[in-house]
Amino acid sequence: MKFLRSPQAAPFLLLLPSIVVILAVVAVPLLVSFWTSFTPYNLTRPATLYDFVGWRNYRRLMGNSDFWWAFGRTVVFITIALNLELLLGLGLALLMNNIRKGERTLRTIMMFPMMFSPILVGFMFKYLFNDAIGLVNNALFDLYIISRPIPWLVDGVLANLTIILAEIWMSTSVFAILLLAGLLALPKEPIEAARVDGCNPWQVFRHITLPFLMPFIFIAMTIRSLDVARAYDMVRIMTNGGPAGRTELIWTLMVRTGYQNSQMGMANAMGYVSILLSIFFTVYFYRKLVAARSFMGGAQ
Amino acid sequence: MSEGRTIERPWQRWLIRFGVFVAMALLCIPGVWVVLTAFRPNIEVLARPTVWIPEVWTLDNFRRLFGFSSTQQGLPVAAYFINSLVISLTSTVVAILVGMAGGYAFARYSFRGKGALFLAFMLSRTVPGVALSLPLFILWGRLGIIDTSFGLILVYMAINIPFTIWLTDGFFRQIPPDLSEAAQIDGCTRWQAFWKVEFPLARAGLASAGIFAFLTSWNEYALAAQLTRTTASKTMPVGLMDFTAQFTVDWTGMSAMAVLIIIPALILTFIVQKHLIAGLTFGGVKG
Amino acid sequence: MTKGLKAALVASVALTCAGGVALADDFDYGSFPGYTLRVKLIGGTQYENLYTRIPEWEAMTGARVEIVSSKNHFDLDREIKQDIAAGDISWCVGSNHTSFAPQYGDLYIDLTDWIPQSELDQYVQGTLDSARVDGRLVQLPRVTDVSNLYYRQSLYADPDNQARWQEEHGTELAPPTTFDEFRDQVIFFADPPNLYGTAFAGKDEGASGRFMEILRANGGDLFDEDWNPIFNSPAGVAALQWFVDIYNAGAVPAGTVNYTWDDIGQAMAAGQLALDLDWPGFAAFYADPDSSKIAGELGFALAPVGSAGVRGAWSGSHSFSVTEACDNKAAAVSLAVFLTNDDSEMMEAQAGNLPTRTATFGEVIDWFNANDQPYMADMFEVWQGSLAEARTPPLIPQWIEVSNVLWPQLQAAIVGEKTPQQALDDAAAQAREILEDAGIL
Repeated sequence: MKFLRSPQAAPFLLLLPSIVVILAVVAVPLLVSFWTSFTPYNLTRPATLYDFVGWRNYRRLMGNSDFWWAFGRTVVFITIALNLELLLGLGLALLMNNIRKGERTLRTIMMFPMMFSPILVGFMFKYLFNDAIGLVNNALFDLYIISRPIPWLVDGVLANLTIILAEIWMSTSVFAILLLAGLLALPKEPIEAARVDGCNPWQVFRHITLPFLMPFIFIAMTIRSLDVARAYDMVRIMTNGGPAGRTELIWTLMVRTGYQNSQMGMANAMGYVSILLSIFFTVYFYRKLVAARSFMGGAQ
Repeated sequence: MSEGRTIERPWQRWLIRFGVFVAMALLCIPGVWVVLTAFRPNIEVLARPTVWIPEVWTLDNFRRLFGFSSTQQGLPVAAYFINSLVISLTSTVVAILVGMAGGYAFARYSFRGKGALFLAFMLSRTVPGVALSLPLFILWGRLGIIDTSFGLILVYMAINIPFTIWLTDGFFRQIPPDLSEAAQIDGCTRWQAFWKVEFPLARAGLASAGIFAFLTSWNEYALAAQLTRTTASKTMPVGLMDFTAQFTVDWTGMSAMAVLIIIPALILTFIVQKHLIAGLTFGGVKG
Repeated sequence: MTKGLKAALVASVALTCAGGVALADDFDYGSFPGYTLRVKLIGGTQYENLYTRIPEWEAMTGARVEIVSSKNHFDLDREIKQDIAAGDISWCVGSNHTSFAPQYGDLYIDLTDWIPQSELDQYVQGTLDSARVDGRLVQLPRVTDVSNLYYRQSLYADPDNQARWQEEHGTELAPPTTFDEFRDQVIFFADPPNLYGTAFAGKDEGASGRFMEILRANGGDLFDEDWNPIFNSPAGVAALQWFVDIYNAGAVPAGTVNYTWDDIGQAMAAGQLALDLDWPGFAAFYADPDSSKIAGELGFALAPVGSAGVRGAWSGSHSFSVTEACDNKAAAVSLAVFLTNDDSEMMEAQAGNLPTRTATFGEVIDWFNANDQPYMADMFEVWQGSLAEARTPPLIPQWIEVSNVLWPQLQAAIVGEKTPQQALDDAAAQAREILEDAGIL
């Protein structure tokens, strides 16, 4: 009891509610699913939950080429999508930074895609890119650009690109708003000084704006790598991994295994491999962020 | 706002305007198409050549939604809407309060395991919803909070707390500790000093954490689909799936509901976005 | 076959007394004042109309119905599995489907113990038979789906088409009666991007089911009596080749491998398909001028037969089940019967669904004729003719799992990554593994 009243206890008391919530909602369920990944747990046969099989699920995964294809595709998907979102978001933020009239309205418009639930984005792009009745193909026909419909969601390359496009549409705004915030906080003096010294706009951007923005870029990357998995809702609606597994991501494979095939144990084993992946991405960007912070001379 | 470019020729200005216009168009067109679809009859959605602007504007899709049409029972949209609002707002406010306490602790105190704990909070968000959904369901079932607003509020709090901690942590670091210390010398308790001095300064950061938290909760589908069942707790995004029967997807009806989902979020963002930029500028960056 | 004959017989008897006397409703719905019945029902606009009848049942029995869940079928399936996993069945009546029912084990009671035979006799017997799992009647069918053909009359009435077809094939142009003809006509009509011959569901159970239908029409089947997978037989290869042929000919939208029912429905309603082998639930949608461009020219025909001269007649039923854990099974059974009784079935049929009570067919045909919708009356007459041959997918718990290894392989063959034989051999090997793991093989 004495500890609770001491000054050393204060941060723990302040953090206690957060810790309790995270433990209850994330940590405890995680332990349960961790256990199930060592069982042949089948949803419709609850008794299998107590049947320990050791590393069997993981061993099977190691030799499962479908899984590794999905795994690799997910890595590529995340890498391409996040980098393109960053580039486009940066461009958008730079443009917006030059707008002086109606910026409040324009910023709201810029955030428009963030109002869309991922599941809605999925339906939207599924209908836009439907090869027979989709708006995109219809528009291309009307403009006489194509004479045969483009099978957007079928072709192995196009289908993945379409999914990446949908993801980019959904999330570029997040990058843009975070980077715009950084640009608005940019100190004016160094830029003016550089300009007086005769630097051209590219040099100003390269040597002053960009280094200052780096921490913001890593923040944006960290935030996005944390919640990129919500793209699952969207992909499920658009292709659900098909056709012939060409757009299978680790998330679609996992849910199909767990809920449709009822093999929850196996699905959770996949889940743990995918968590490793997310942790890798997050820690990587987090360390970059810490490095950029010390570069800026901020307190640790 | 920013006076970044001092020397600017007219053609540069027009180029920038044109660039902004194109970017906004790309961001808006898919969304606007959904909004237009909400006011079209289904037959026009299928038409070729494409009917860009609806020839027939109709409110039928909304009538069907609310059950004013003679052929169909309406959906309990009002109940979904209220659930969404209650769940999103409550979880946002509580996550902000709880996360703010955590952020304050990280910013103002040094203690053992601080770095590890900070990273642990962030990593808690990397867990994919699928890995959580079944254990959460079983746990919530034992606790009897399946299909309650409370159950979902708790989950959304957990999703939003890490981000809030991070943002407020960076933010409190910006505020010199001297301010609060001065107030304490003047006779305030630390508690009073916090609310009178530090909290008002942190407001912008909290507003930005708030809008992100709200939008996340407002649009979340995967976990809500698992943990809700009836009008007692079903939210708007879950309600969207009511339009998918086994064979058909009522895309016009779904679009009408999408409009109802987007409008409140849009209004809120418009109101809060000024704080949003200010909040993000100060929070987060300085470690 | 005797079952089929019997069903046909019952059906034709019903036809002759069409519009006749409503059969006496002798089922006792009981009285349960103050009791609250908790139910999980399939949601979605198409299904919820029926639930407007629930207040009537409440008034009759004094019980109250609490809908604890209302979702589309895939989400409902997931939710029920979660309930089983959590060991927490706190509800009594649940929506069910013949394709899903075998997965649920002993979750649901055998209704034959609770419903008098005289009542059960009023259901379409073939439909009732397919509602059994291991001989137990675990569900009371509500509406039935059998696949049959929709076609566009204008295309068949067009003199140019008739002449061209005559020239190329030497026969009269008429809706196809065999899958070979179906293939030829699909390719014949295709004029992409304005018109495709047809479209098929290319993923999920939709793809597996259609393949199964053609496989059976060719005289093959998915499994032999001992549950060995035999769909990689010549009949299976021929069935898969059918998909490959029309896909390679460009007679179907290339996106069809991603389509599910909603996409096909939209494409047909947009006037982009000549033919559609599909479910009865679409008739009302296609025939509604507000939602469909082909409303005025909708034709119905029986599904084609395969090389074995039989129909695959892929079928399934939506249904209601009563849980073993229910604390008032009498009330639960009463509601399940009420929601599938003559009045309820009439309501379903008027919305364009195939009813599960024999008497309803005649009544609804009269009703549509009287209400100036003769094409809907046609639909019921055509569809009723195929009920006798209706066959569900294998009623084993592993069906969905097998389907999930089958359809990606079908897709691989259709888009040309594998030969049909190779794809089916691979799928058969995976299916064998699943059945071995489950202890069936």
